[in-house]
Amino acid sequence: MTKTHCPYCSLQCGMSLERAGRELEVQPWAEFPVNEGALCRKGWTATGLRGHRERLTTPLVRDRATGELRAAGWEEALDLVAGRLRDLRSSYGADAVAVFGGGGLTNEKAYQLGKLARVALGTSQVDYNGRWCMSSAASASNRAFGIDRGLPFPLADIEHTDVLVLVGSNLVETMPPAARHLDRLRENGGHVVVIDPRRTPTADRADTFLQPVPGTDLPIALGLLHLLDAAGAVDEEYVAARTTGWEDVRRAAASWWPERVERVTGVDAAQLRDMGTLLAGAAKVTVLTARGAEQHAQGTDTVLAWIDVALALGMPGRPNAGYGCLTGQGNGQGGREHGQKADQLPGYRMIDDPVAREHVARVWGVPVESVPGKGRSAYELLDALGTDGGPKALLVFGSNIVVSAPNATHVRSRLDDLDLLVVSDIVLSETAAIADVVLPVTQWAEETGTMTNLEGRVILRQQAVAPPEGVRSDLDVMAGLAARLGHDFATDPEEVFAELGRASAGGRADYSEITYDRIREEHGVFWAGPRLFAEAFAHDDGRARFVAVEHRGPAEPVDAAYPLHLTTGRVLAQYQSGAQTRRVRELPDDGPFVELHPMLAQRIGAYDGEPVVITTRRGELKAPARVVDTIRPDTVFVPFHWVGANRLTNDALDPSSRMPEFKVCACAVTMVVSRLGAGAPRTSTTDAPVEVRAKRASKPAQARA
Amino acid sequence: MTTVIVGAGMAASRLAQELPDVTVLGDEAHPPYNRILLSAVLEGTHSPDALALGVPDGVDLRLGTRVVEIHREEREVELADRSRVGYDRLVLATGSIPTLPPIRGLVRMDGRLHEKVHAFRTLDDCRRLEREVRHARNAVVVGGGLLGLQVARALSVRGLATEVVEGGEHLLRSQVDAKAGAILARDLKRLGTTVYTGARAVRLDDRGLTLDNGYLLETDLVVLTAGGRPSTALARRAGLDVRRGIVVDHHLRTSDERIHAIGDCAQHGGQVTGFVPPAWEQAGLLARHLAGEDVSYDGARTVARLRATDLDVAVLGDPERADGQVVEVTNPVIGSHRKLVVRDGVIVAATLVGDLSRIGQITQHYDRGTVLGPREPGDLLMADRVATPVELSDDAEVCACAGVSAGRVRACASLDDVRTTTRATTGCGGCAPAVRQLLATRTLEGTNR
Repeated sequence: MTKTHCPYCSLQCGMSLERAGRELEVQPWAEFPVNEGALCRKGWTATGLRGHRERLTTPLVRDRATGELRAAGWEEALDLVAGRLRDLRSSYGADAVAVFGGGGLTNEKAYQLGKLARVALGTSQVDYNGRWCMSSAASASNRAFGIDRGLPFPLADIEHTDVLVLVGSNLVETMPPAARHLDRLRENGGHVVVIDPRRTPTADRADTFLQPVPGTDLPIALGLLHLLDAAGAVDEEYVAARTTGWEDVRRAAASWWPERVERVTGVDAAQLRDMGTLLAGAAKVTVLTARGAEQHAQGTDTVLAWIDVALALGMPGRPNAGYGCLTGQGNGQGGREHGQKADQLPGYRMIDDPVAREHVARVWGVPVESVPGKGRSAYELLDALGTDGGPKALLVFGSNIVVSAPNATHVRSRLDDLDLLVVSDIVLSETAAIADVVLPVTQWAEETGTMTNLEGRVILRQQAVAPPEGVRSDLDVMAGLAARLGHDFATDPEEVFAELGRASAGGRADYSEITYDRIREEHGVFWAGPRLFAEAFAHDDGRARFVAVEHRGPAEPVDAAYPLHLTTGRVLAQYQSGAQTRRVRELPDDGPFVELHPMLAQRIGAYDGEPVVITTRRGELKAPARVVDTIRPDTVFVPFHWVGANRLTNDALDPSSRMPEFKVCACAVTMVVSRLGAGAPRTSTTDAPVEVRAKRASKPAQARA
Repeated sequence: MTTVIVGAGMAASRLAQELPDVTVLGDEAHPPYNRILLSAVLEGTHSPDALALGVPDGVDLRLGTRVVEIHREEREVELADRSRVGYDRLVLATGSIPTLPPIRGLVRMDGRLHEKVHAFRTLDDCRRLEREVRHARNAVVVGGGLLGLQVARALSVRGLATEVVEGGEHLLRSQVDAKAGAILARDLKRLGTTVYTGARAVRLDDRGLTLDNGYLLETDLVVLTAGGRPSTALARRAGLDVRRGIVVDHHLRTSDERIHAIGDCAQHGGQVTGFVPPAWEQAGLLARHLAGEDVSYDGARTVARLRATDLDVAVLGDPERADGQVVEVTNPVIGSHRKLVVRDGVIVAATLVGDLSRIGQITQHYDRGTVLGPREPGDLLMADRVATPVELSDDAEVCACAGVSAGRVRACASLDDVRTTTRATTGCGGCAPAVRQLLATRTLEGTNR
């Protein structure tokens, strides 16, 4: 029996893996506090990829003659990659080689990947898909609090807050076991507010639900600040003692009266006033943002506005109150702390800080001037691939770019222009399928390593079974490449973790006191302790910063040609690009769909279950309509786990976090006219009733308050 | 390039936020504040300290400064103290001034207003009135427009017996039709405010305010809200083209290409707006134009919202004059009147009184010019249909976390059985009520479907 954690989301639920004959079974691990034995169906079926027929067990190399991938030996594959990398570097310079990581990699891998880039390859061009996850919240938290830890308190703390505000989070579907804390909060008499363009299962379990136009969470926060100030509900004492910058925020909020907010957001002024009253009267308020608020070209500003709300109420640092971000990917938190970000070194150190460079160079045993500077952020990196002055080779670890990058058709064209694409993965993902070299690696139950969950709790995934023959760990792959480039890298995870600890020592995210043994004994170890900010914030003066922001609106507003808002997101039974979950037999895989409101369905003549075409300036997708009354009539939703959704999305970037605007762009939806001509024509002029999909069965329909 | 803005109201402050190198000349003593919230301050629901609007550092803000003349040749404005300020660009944001209704006794022999009479335009007006409200018992509001109703409600909330006098045949006569006006009058009456429509105040004396129908309204306070007119005297003296307001083109330029006008004082395409959102839109657009962008102003879509406790009114565009088909639902029983004016599938104007459900959605459609389907305008005015509980088929999914169907739950003996054999209810817990209900139904019927 092996104690480990789920391979998927940032909750990192504890689970126990037991051998039953040749099978590996998932069993509850009730003592682990985050999920107390609960799992969602993704966790219960996580062993489904073991022994899967699509599992890669040998390196693949693209044959020059046939253009097909063929099996190759490890030596051949690694020699080939190292040789090509050396050639490209000598022809074009070190930045001709780029590295792309993932928020699902363990801390050890993330650390080693940054080191591979900066030490073995000497390139500044390293970034990862975490830019598309919580980066806006990270940059906002750094500005406001001087530190970025998703939740500065354990998740269970929300059970004892008075009002919990979830901005753009559908945690009931994206991290179901976390919903227990929501329910307990309500049993304790607390009040849950959900803000989302869709009435999600999370919204169904809220006491207050606001349904704004996508991309307008920011003016809602400004409107609340306006109301709090108007009502004299700002905690002036806290503001004076623990913050700076309130006056600017106050003046910005003065021009966001509720009727103006209503006009911009589509949320009734009366509802906003009610929410203002609710917040003004609560002793403990917790605001949590997630991708809905963050994945915007103004994502950082949006989070800052919500932090302003929390600060005006005097909440951050108070028990069972404050602000936090619900990180998405399994190691979204740790992944950004240890050096796979273009601008950071291990320990959440900034790469342009001379003291940080000195420290890390010493740990790495290299001259400080050999450590490259800041590189391109994730999307900018992809956008530059194969261009003049851009990278010619890309090494990908733990990311399925073809599915998950925005404006995917364009990104695919950049990948196609590379001289060399190397992908390390467990299956032939859509990105691996177009690679020149594919390296088969171990998956979660077959390896050991640490992850840092959404609370900043460092947890330990432990190896439960031996990997299949022919498969190597990512750490092995990196060491193999490094060796061929003249560097000696460790492959034992615990050894790498110790090195990571030394490299992070003294940094913002300092892991030097954490050991595998401590993690085992303490059910995970919080870096910097379970709760932050009780005494001071992380800025030098100990104060939090109010930051005044203004609403600019989506980068691509709707217009006559593209009159609807498109938003994207997840479904319960799939995870991220679906490379893993779409291959697990027990998980339903119905493909993408287009969620739309009955009024819109009637307007365009769409029927539930029948295909519609959704078009944006960047691409189109044909998928069945799902007619639901839980979405705004001016908005459509497409899940992003399948190829297609991201051909539609906009690549406008947040100026600070470089987050693409996944969550809103302008689109048009039309009905697909059957070419077969069978059956009666269904056009928009007929007066046929629109079928509304039965509401989720798990909830009596009349239960909404 | 030096830009001088005459006026320090809402339009001026917005422009100052978006332009570098700006001088703002305001004749009020206060830094820019949010004027439209004054009635909320009067009502006591908005802290007077929370009115200030931002003026960025670096703006040369001169308060208590009255401009008396524009010298176009010299490109200078002359102030009351005879000093002059030079400009490359001049922006007139002088706003509007309240009009005094022809009531005898309103203005005293010395030219000042009767001591009971208050205008309601500036922060000083608001403060003065606020002081009086504390020991007044009753008040008459002259004017039944948006401002009049807001002030009337504010006074009423403050505990004053309040009466409204409106010269037209119904309330909000420049925005809504008689049906809506009647509903509003009834709402006000229900809230304790008496409304006189089709009645003009003609005389004010120590006994009170006399109406042209002979009524005498005894009162401590008279608040004038009956209209304002664009403040154009400066522009007129400078020889700029002025009709109702200062005439501007699609670049918000007056007849002098170095002088622009925005906000309540400007007239574009024959229209003077009098609302903040278009004034801000003009300010934003002018800032971009002055920065060299190729943008032009093509008129505003206005949404007028009454900000008063317990009175629900929204007017989109000009529903009484807009051209189109009218879709309307009136329910005098509950006091609601809602009407959409639709042209080629687009909502071009609307009146919503007494029921603002879907206001957010309707405003979005109006602002974005969404082309609606033929049934949509009607559906937008209908109440949400109440969903009825459905009998779950055996293959309906009950628990999404574990992927459990109703049939599998029905096959279980107890909640414990459900938990151990199916894992339903153990994930997010959201299906617990449905599972209990399924188990209960199964037991009662004694069947094992």
